[in-house]
Amino acid sequence: MQKLLSSTCLAATLAIGLAGLAHGADYTPVTDARLTNPEPQNWLMTRGNYQGWSYSPLDQVNSSNVRGLTPVWTFSTGVDSGHESPPIVNNGVMFVSTPYAQVIALDAATGDELWRYKRKLPEGFSALHNTNRGVALYGDRVYLAGLDAVLVALDARTGKVVWESKVEDWKTGYYMTMAPLVVKGKILVGVAGGEFGVRGFVEAFDADSGKSVWKTYSIPAPGEPGSNTWEKPDTWKTGGASTWMTGNYDPTTDTVFWGTGNGSPWFGDQRPGDNLYTSSTLALDGATGKLKGYFQYQQNEDWDWDAMNAPMLVDFQKDGATVNGLLTPQRNGYLYWLQRKSDGGIGFLKAQPYVAQNVFKSVDATTGRPEIDMDHKPGTGKMAQFCPGLWGGKDWPYESYSPKTGMVYIPSNENHCNKFEGKVEERVPGQWWTGVAIPDFHFSVDPKAPFFGEIKTYDVNTGAPGWRQLYAHSMMWGSLLSTGGNLVFGGGTNDREFRAYDATTGEELWHSRTNSAIIAPPASYEVNGVQYVAVQSGYGVDAAYQETLLSELLGWQADVPQGGVVWVYALTK
Amino acid sequence: MGAGVALAPWLARPARADDPSELHPQPGDRLVFLTGPKKRQIIKPDDLPLGGPQFQAYPQSPDGVLRDGSRLNLLIVIRLDPASLSPTTLANAAADVVAYSAVCTHQGCPVNAWSEEQKMMVCSCHGSTYDPRDDAKLVFGPAPRSLPHLPLKLDAGVLVVAAGFSARLGGETA
Repeated sequence: MQKLLSSTCLAATLAIGLAGLAHGADYTPVTDARLTNPEPQNWLMTRGNYQGWSYSPLDQVNSSNVRGLTPVWTFSTGVDSGHESPPIVNNGVMFVSTPYAQVIALDAATGDELWRYKRKLPEGFSALHNTNRGVALYGDRVYLAGLDAVLVALDARTGKVVWESKVEDWKTGYYMTMAPLVVKGKILVGVAGGEFGVRGFVEAFDADSGKSVWKTYSIPAPGEPGSNTWEKPDTWKTGGASTWMTGNYDPTTDTVFWGTGNGSPWFGDQRPGDNLYTSSTLALDGATGKLKGYFQYQQNEDWDWDAMNAPMLVDFQKDGATVNGLLTPQRNGYLYWLQRKSDGGIGFLKAQPYVAQNVFKSVDATTGRPEIDMDHKPGTGKMAQFCPGLWGGKDWPYESYSPKTGMVYIPSNENHCNKFEGKVEERVPGQWWTGVAIPDFHFSVDPKAPFFGEIKTYDVNTGAPGWRQLYAHSMMWGSLLSTGGNLVFGGGTNDREFRAYDATTGEELWHSRTNSAIIAPPASYEVNGVQYVAVQSGYGVDAAYQETLLSELLGWQADVPQGGVVWVYALTK
Repeated sequence: MGAGVALAPWLARPARADDPSELHPQPGDRLVFLTGPKKRQIIKPDDLPLGGPQFQAYPQSPDGVLRDGSRLNLLIVIRLDPASLSPTTLANAAADVVAYSAVCTHQGCPVNAWSEEQKMMVCSCHGSTYDPRDDAKLVFGPAPRSLPHLPLKLDAGVLVVAAGFSARLGGETA
């Protein structure tokens, strides 16, 4: 279970203090009230609000003047690999995290470095993904999910470690890349390791002391509800259902919505049953962690289609009434409309594909359960092709919802497939254990396809498709940000561009070429009356690996440059 | 490549002499299976199928101390047709068996996968693929270097370590 680490371990970490916050006394503590109703000028959490909209109400930069957007400062992180965290901004102070669990505090208006925290990873440590997806702010502290499965609380003014709390033993395959979620005095984290045969969980820690408050596994133990969906003894112990992306939160019902990953190993015939709660959204009580409800997107998972992204909390119209809803484009290529029930449970309303998908014959209109085309379900010793491939209709990058346009904007990929078969492998804790080796994935694309990456948009009330942006020579790995200025910002393409689109029409209005390619979420904030748009550019991880394959399949650029830089833009005229 | 590429911090740290389980492989060490039906047993050449797949192993001192205290000691052992081996690979082999470090030179992940189709050793983190017949040279992926050899010799029908690793261990990181 959780234990606090010794001061010796604390000393093994490094906080490099520069000036610190010269105006440290002015640092504005982050409260529950501020997180529930974040000020437009700030970006206090990874997706901007508890609903997970990736939307900024700021409108100083808008579709009329965005062509005047100019870089005002940049900052090199000095780190390679995939940068996947948004700048988090609290009243003029920016916190960015980098791969290998570093945090940099910057003056959000000038780019001056205030402090940097570098985590020293243990000897022999390695992780499948070295990235980090952002910090959480609460009180006067910054919370970082360490890659080595240790939760770290830093002093927001100095970067000094306040406490560390071990979440799990990294040697067994657990690691952490998501941004923590703050819920009423608690810091919630999830774990990665679905390719290593871990058993996923969400754990809450007391923000002040670092002590564990509750821990809820995403796979039930024998005797618990849902345990009968693990029909083969002991498969639940190593069944996956990792929890590697940050959840969203409904403060009115104190309900946390958290996504879970694929089953382990990848081949469902090795773990017969529906395998709750793999590839699901969990509804957890914020105070106790008790499971209030769930929705499973596909049973007995086979395609590495994690359901890691928590749905956005969006209230939409259905049959003339407003529904307290959940909206989520899933990696399986379907867009789901779900209901937040009054008891905290999740109800199914409807689903429709947003990319071509050949695995689901249909989706039950009442339950949401898909009927699987077994010709496209790989197995142990059974080769099968499926589309979209394992990276899905979209991977983890965030969709955006604009309450101003009533549209959802989805960074997605199409015209790609995988084909593989499994084998039974002995598990070694901490090592890859999917049942198939990476070179045997047989990733393929349709070479005649007119596009691969795209932005798709839908009306959240009717499901009617809106504008599309198609990328003929790139996949789309960039989270999107919509704004009150009727804009959608995003990178995600291999040409290193950061772009702004008209949120209503999809017209590309502005672009800026960066050092690397952008796979991190953009954010927007305001300091002294100036609106800024900020994003980290730093290619790597799965996007880079996929690009290597595409260089062989389609002749795309194999060596997109890496290395992280924070880019900050504003109107200068 | 990214800015600021540097040696992983743990590489600067010598193995701890006071804990023999953390010592890097020493001449005379045996090799023992990490997995499989002969898990924890000393490896003999005939235990390994000709042509792969690879097996993972740890060194073990002659007096029985398993050197699994450091992940950097993780090994790959594979038996191959000697006619298919490069001269250096052959020189480091014993009874047609070759041993390499199993720590990927990219970012330090275990090279634990075997591609049946390519007959190659694969890192499961980012797909770096190494040719076991040709000094574990990289044939695909982001790793910057070959896997180090661990030279072997035969002693009374058992594989033993002949010398230390042929190159520095581990991955690179920022």
